[in-house]
Amino acid sequence: MKTKITYLYVLMVSFIIFSCTSKKETKTEKKPEYLADIGDTKYTPTIDDANFKFCDSTTVLHKRARVAYTGGTPAMEKELIASYEKKPEFESFTGYFFIRFAVNCKNESGRFRWEIVDDEFKAKVCPKALEDEIITKVKNLKSWNSPIYKGEIHDGYTFLIVKIENGNILRS
Amino acid sequence: MKKLLIITLISCSSFVYSQGNCLMYEEGSNERKACELAYEGKTLKQGSRESQEMFDSILKINPNYAWAYMEKSVAYLKRGLITEGLELLDKAVELDPRYNLTYRAYWHFQNRNYKLCVRDLERYYKLPNAFIYEMSPGGDKDMRILLGMSYAKLGDLEKGIKTVENCLKSYKREADFGLVDYHVLGMLYVKNKQYKKALEIFDKQLKITEDYPDSYYYMGLAYKALNKPKEAKAHFEKAKDKFLESYHIRNGYLCYKVYYSDVTDEIEALTDKL
Repeated sequence: MKTKITYLYVLMVSFIIFSCTSKKETKTEKKPEYLADIGDTKYTPTIDDANFKFCDSTTVLHKRARVAYTGGTPAMEKELIASYEKKPEFESFTGYFFIRFAVNCKNESGRFRWEIVDDEFKAKVCPKALEDEIITKVKNLKSWNSPIYKGEIHDGYTFLIVKIENGNILRS
Repeated sequence: MKKLLIITLISCSSFVYSQGNCLMYEEGSNERKACELAYEGKTLKQGSRESQEMFDSILKINPNYAWAYMEKSVAYLKRGLITEGLELLDKAVELDPRYNLTYRAYWHFQNRNYKLCVRDLERYYKLPNAFIYEMSPGGDKDMRILLGMSYAKLGDLEKGIKTVENCLKSYKREADFGLVDYHVLGMLYVKNKQYKKALEIFDKQLKITEDYPDSYYYMGLAYKALNKPKEAKAHFEKAKDKFLESYHIRNGYLCYKVYYSDVTDEIEALTDKL
């Protein structure tokens, strides 16, 4: 009888160990899922403007430098800083916004996504009001120029970095 | 001669950032297999699904392959995915600081984080086996010049100037100078109000190339500060012409960059006074 119980006990323990190991292996085997290109941004109805459309979604460029702003970076930064409404609670924030977006062949911007990092480039939470203020004002920038590549106008992805020190936007 | 210099620098940078010689690994070893797979995948488009999956396969075979982590990070960093990109690049640095610290420093510089750029480059140059003449990924600048510019951007102009001066002193021949080396030193002199020294250095820069509007702009600022408005205006006009001819400094030049509107603003201000 005692032998039978011991046998059952060993069987149960082995089963549990086997189950755990199998589960672990399944987890390790899971492959990351990539989109066709790193940085592709799928339309998400809850956050994206439904009116923003790519002219040709099969040839969207990932060439940041091809997307320009009328008047260049100084004009863009000047406009952004002029429209930025700083509040006292923003002064506690120092860090960077990395804001990715697309500009279509009609010079319209959309599909905004962003990361907020500290001065060590580690993910950071910032005051919600500051996040809303920066993102709204970047979305309001309207003088983007569609990328031209090999003589043809394209849709394209780009990104801009907003560097903030004690709540103030710094020029590059 | 300058064309030869650029080709040499770009070739060197390609070598430094290549996956290495697979024959140095034992035949049949995981290191060898991963390295050979990297060669096979060289034709894949950067950032494509196929390319990223290839890196995953390589890293599955050899999880300590620093090059694969670094190379996988590139598409993320070029497309503004900062945390994912740095996570990969940090791993590459951890595994092989000698070959990856300067690349991470370059990205920190590009992303305007001069504090992190300085930290990486100071660490790099303290390595016992650091290369003295380490170039930026595009092969156009010595990394000590980026270090100097970063000190300047952090407010220590003297240290920035000293770093760039020492870098230029280490070159053995005139052919060793890059296309913007003298320009950067002249620009830092202007920032530090050493206008006469700046003009001497810009004379040397113009012997390297007469094409960059940025150099004429900073010369204009120096003449303006020395109370020579006619010379200043002539140089701003020259800068404007160069911009209109579509000349500009390319690749990784974010520090104290000159824009067309900077030049036209100066011309307008001087026109009122002359």
